[in-house]
Amino acid sequence: MTAESLDEVAFDVERGKIREFARATGATDPVHTDRGAAQRAGFGDVPATATHVVVAGHHRDQRAFVAELGLAFERVVVGSVKWIYHRPLLAGDALRGVRRVAEDVRKKGMRFVTLETEYLDAEAEPVVVLHETLIERGDQQ
Amino acid sequence: MRAPVAVRPGTSLPAREVGPVTQTHVVRFAGAGGDFNPLHHDPEFARSAGFPGVLAMGQMHAGMLAAWLTDWAGVEHLREYEVRFAAPVFLGDTLLFSGEVRSVDNGLAELQLTATRGEDAVLRARAAVVTG
Repeated sequence: MTAESLDEVAFDVERGKIREFARATGATDPVHTDRGAAQRAGFGDVPATATHVVVAGHHRDQRAFVAELGLAFERVVVGSVKWIYHRPLLAGDALRGVRRVAEDVRKKGMRFVTLETEYLDAEAEPVVVLHETLIERGDQQ
Repeated sequence: MRAPVAVRPGTSLPAREVGPVTQTHVVRFAGAGGDFNPLHHDPEFARSAGFPGVLAMGQMHAGMLAAWLTDWAGVEHLREYEVRFAAPVFLGDTLLFSGEVRSVDNGLAELQLTATRGEDAVLRARAAVVTG
């Protein structure tokens, strides 16, 4: 199962969504909302805030892939999330996210599944890699 | 690019207080992020799932902590951000974000970050940012 591709998502990074997400997370750096400020800071266009790719998570059918992994949806919680950045996401980026199972282990009656999604830009260069560790609580505990 | 922040081990980040968390915060994040799980906006549904009321998405306060970090460090200087969810956040909670530089190696600062509600940690996070 490891290294097998689970699914793919196409994700366009949009200026309006960056603004909306920046406001929802209380970001005060004007580079996220003001193109002039972004350009003065050296960006080609407005950069997204650090956790912006969470937007793409909801373009996917989360229940279907949880079922595909053999996890019980009602007993799954997200334990941790990690982002590894090669560069900031910029408005105008057209990204492709490829998700794989990076790790699948059982500890103390619980199952820990780590999913890795690598987001590549139009030149197929990696932009950000996302790791999400799902914890399935045991049904006997 | 903007100059990276200059830090040393032990440097503290300027703290940020967020809240009290309102239903408007949660709904605004739902609209921005696309998470319409009723646990986050339907109090009856949340109670039927065993919670005292609606809870914020973990990604909401994870995103708020990250925004606080990059307002300080500059988003172009962020290399890694990792967050662990320690406790749920409910309406009315006020969160305090704090952090400290643990080490500096090869121009990269390793930070330890926490979001607390009173005495309780709700998020434990770490980050690596480029430092000058």
